[in-house]
Amino acid sequence: MVRYIARRLLWVVFLLLAVSFITFIIFYLLPSADPAALRAGRQPSPSLVASIRHQLGLDQPWYVQYGRYMKNLILHFDFGYSYQNGTPVRQLIFSRLPASISLAAGAAFLWLVVGLGVGIIAAVRPRTKLDRASMGLALVGISAPVYWLGLVALYLFSSDIGVIPILPGANSYVPLSENPFSWFTSLIMPWCVLAVSFAAFYSRLLRGNLTEVLDEDYIRTARAKGLSERRVVLRHGLRSAITPIVTIFGLDLGILLGGAILTETVFNIPGIGRLSYASIVRSDLPVIQGTVLLGAFFIVFANLFVDIIYAFLDPRVRYQ
Amino acid sequence: MNPVTRCSGVLAALVACLAVAACGSSSSDSDTGTSVGAVPETQTLTGKTGGSLKVIASSDVDYIDPGAAYYQFTFMISYATQRPLYSFGPDDAVDAVPDLATKAADVSSDGKTVTVEIKPNVKFSPPVDRAATSADVKYAIERGFKSTVANGYAGAYFGDLTGAKAFQDGKANNITGIETPTDTKIVFNLDRGTGGVLAGALALPLSAPVPKEYAAKFDAKNPSTYGVNQVSTGPYMIEADANGKLTGYEPGKMIKLVRNPNWDRATDYRKAYLDTINVEEGNDDTTVASRQILQGNAQINGDFGPPPPVLKQIVSSTPDQLALTPSGGIRYVSLNTSMAPFDNLNVRKAVLAAFDREAMRATRGGPLLGPIGNHFIPPGIGGFDEAGGLNGTGVDFLKYPKGNLTLAKEYMKKGGFPTGMYTGSEKLLMVGTSGGAAQKSAELAAAQFEKLGFKPKLRLVTQDAMYTKFCNTPKADVIICPNVGWLKDFSDPQTMLDPTFNGKNIVPVNNSNWPLLDNEAINSAMDKAELVVGTSARNKAWADIDRQITAQAPAIPWIWDDSPNIRSTDVAGVINKFNGNWDLSFTSLK
Repeated sequence: MVRYIARRLLWVVFLLLAVSFITFIIFYLLPSADPAALRAGRQPSPSLVASIRHQLGLDQPWYVQYGRYMKNLILHFDFGYSYQNGTPVRQLIFSRLPASISLAAGAAFLWLVVGLGVGIIAAVRPRTKLDRASMGLALVGISAPVYWLGLVALYLFSSDIGVIPILPGANSYVPLSENPFSWFTSLIMPWCVLAVSFAAFYSRLLRGNLTEVLDEDYIRTARAKGLSERRVVLRHGLRSAITPIVTIFGLDLGILLGGAILTETVFNIPGIGRLSYASIVRSDLPVIQGTVLLGAFFIVFANLFVDIIYAFLDPRVRYQ
Repeated sequence: MNPVTRCSGVLAALVACLAVAACGSSSSDSDTGTSVGAVPETQTLTGKTGGSLKVIASSDVDYIDPGAAYYQFTFMISYATQRPLYSFGPDDAVDAVPDLATKAADVSSDGKTVTVEIKPNVKFSPPVDRAATSADVKYAIERGFKSTVANGYAGAYFGDLTGAKAFQDGKANNITGIETPTDTKIVFNLDRGTGGVLAGALALPLSAPVPKEYAAKFDAKNPSTYGVNQVSTGPYMIEADANGKLTGYEPGKMIKLVRNPNWDRATDYRKAYLDTINVEEGNDDTTVASRQILQGNAQINGDFGPPPPVLKQIVSSTPDQLALTPSGGIRYVSLNTSMAPFDNLNVRKAVLAAFDREAMRATRGGPLLGPIGNHFIPPGIGGFDEAGGLNGTGVDFLKYPKGNLTLAKEYMKKGGFPTGMYTGSEKLLMVGTSGGAAQKSAELAAAQFEKLGFKPKLRLVTQDAMYTKFCNTPKADVIICPNVGWLKDFSDPQTMLDPTFNGKNIVPVNNSNWPLLDNEAINSAMDKAELVVGTSARNKAWADIDRQITAQAPAIPWIWDDSPNIRSTDVAGVINKFNGNWDLSFTSLK
């Protein structure tokens, strides 16, 4: 297992290098804005543009720029400075990370509880009204765009512009360190909105898997041995049916930790997603690099974590 | 304030622009604009002292450093925290009033010397805690030329200062043309007689004093970090710790203004009723943000306007919560006059004649958002009336807001196309902005060109890329730029026409003469007009130039923008007509 993890960690390093390289190249090849021109103002003299270009290091060949960036990153954990406002990228990212983690973790908890719960109930009561109703609702949940759902939720339930003003609305996010109660209440609506489609998808996926698994011979054997139905479903059925869920959960959580752009936008949560979008629009390469690397980091580590979890969930999986 | 940035890049603005696009021409207003929500000529400037104001904004300031700031929303903050030599009172967008200065600037008759006396007792906020002097103004202007600060307009208005170029090129350690004979007197010596326009530019935040002994260490960094360590002379300051490091600014999240303890009301014309001002950024959905303001959960808008459904609702139900004011800006479709087919004057006239500018205006919100542009000096800027006002300069090809295909074909025939239609087969590179109203404008513009047989090849990119990689770069050979626009820097017509249509201002990077118009007669007239001293004479000279430019049909003007601002009912909002948005130094709580 240790050797496996070490090998995977090496792959993580390689993947992050590849992602940073590709991001860099894309920025060069696509028609993004010229950061030196953005800073230079009106009708700048060629010497001013050249001077800014030099100061930003843009007068160097791309591989020199990339090499310098990676050197600073690896040796000093320095992501560089935002072209837009001169703020260190590390500071920008770490000031926004708690909001993204708060949003993603809370929503993930919610969609796992709801999605798995509904999926199990639907699977153990197949073709009943309960099964049809829950799967129908799940289909609606999957189909509803997050942005639209967020706006509907705000117009219905937010305390400022809602018809039934019961929850804090957009622009109400409070950091956990500032006021835990306000943090919790300000995130209830974003958590619910973000969790809806995931919960719906997970419930449908689990229902399908579990229904299949519950028809397997070993489940019949378990029942024949006199185990309670609860034990059969949760201990033997779910353990087998949940492995695909664990896989996509790792990916989903990793992606969301890298920023839930739409949810953060609707509810004005100052997270990584909004930061990365703004940096893309403004061609702020150092920030783009930082947020992309962060997203990639979360995704690959979430995958690694999932693969390790597999070994515990499925006795057939052994890493040599 | 180059180029029109009201709908710049961020998602919030895209959403805002998208929403505006749906407004159409649903209001009952005439083609020449509207009086619903119009800001009165004289606003009530008295208010209640105290309280906290919540401003919501979609995006961040461009630069928190007042020496680099070049965006309306940033100016809104800068004019509350900094005291340039001159600034604009709420009701007068044309004539600046002395701010740090004691009286109007003295411009010599040859325009080569500008002398300003400054107040002796305007103090910097902590930790500097001393009175600002003429040397601080000199340093403020000098740092604007440094590449670590790179002010966007320093070269345009202060570039004729004696020694400015040597300083910028690193060949001198100060701008020799700025003299400070005493702590309260500053003299600007120019190589050319452009003192008239320099005097106007002294109302921009670049002339706000910066203490060298404090700021130099921050300016030595790349880029300068003075912005996040700035000190203030205005009634407000961005909240900071004892060392001056800002604690009230988180990029893209918030700006918190608190009272400057060293501000002396007796030295200022500002009222500064409020105790604190909290700017909450990142409100990308402007529908939600607008409703929050209208229902009182926030109080005024920062950098966005209400989207059309909200605007319509306000106009019909609560017009007193709306404040519409001319922005001093114009949007147009530029035609590359240096390349075929638009190097042919008659072909350009034909395009202007055929263009449905009313439909273009509808993509941004219809009549409520401003009158259709007929020439290039917008309302509220000197020279507008002299150039023909709302009716235009009288050219026939701009007479029909919906376009006139018959007239257009006549011009095409004169231009060498006997059928009245363009017969060339080449694709014309057209680069527009992706997303929102800008994309709709670009797509509609492309369709307008097709009416005369042109084959535009529309490429859509982000707004920053559209400007910096394409339209601002002559060698990109873009034929049509459908999403360009210009906003005044201050109320002098030169700020509208010189950067945009003077052939000598065609530069390889950040070029803003998008049509690449290089007309000898116009260039020469501008050279002369730059040296004219005196408001009415300057207005007349530049109005004549406006007529000459319009006759050359280098671009299709289609809207003179109005700025829509909203407030909650508990706010006594005061608009600064110069800046086109709320004046934080006069707005109060009811």
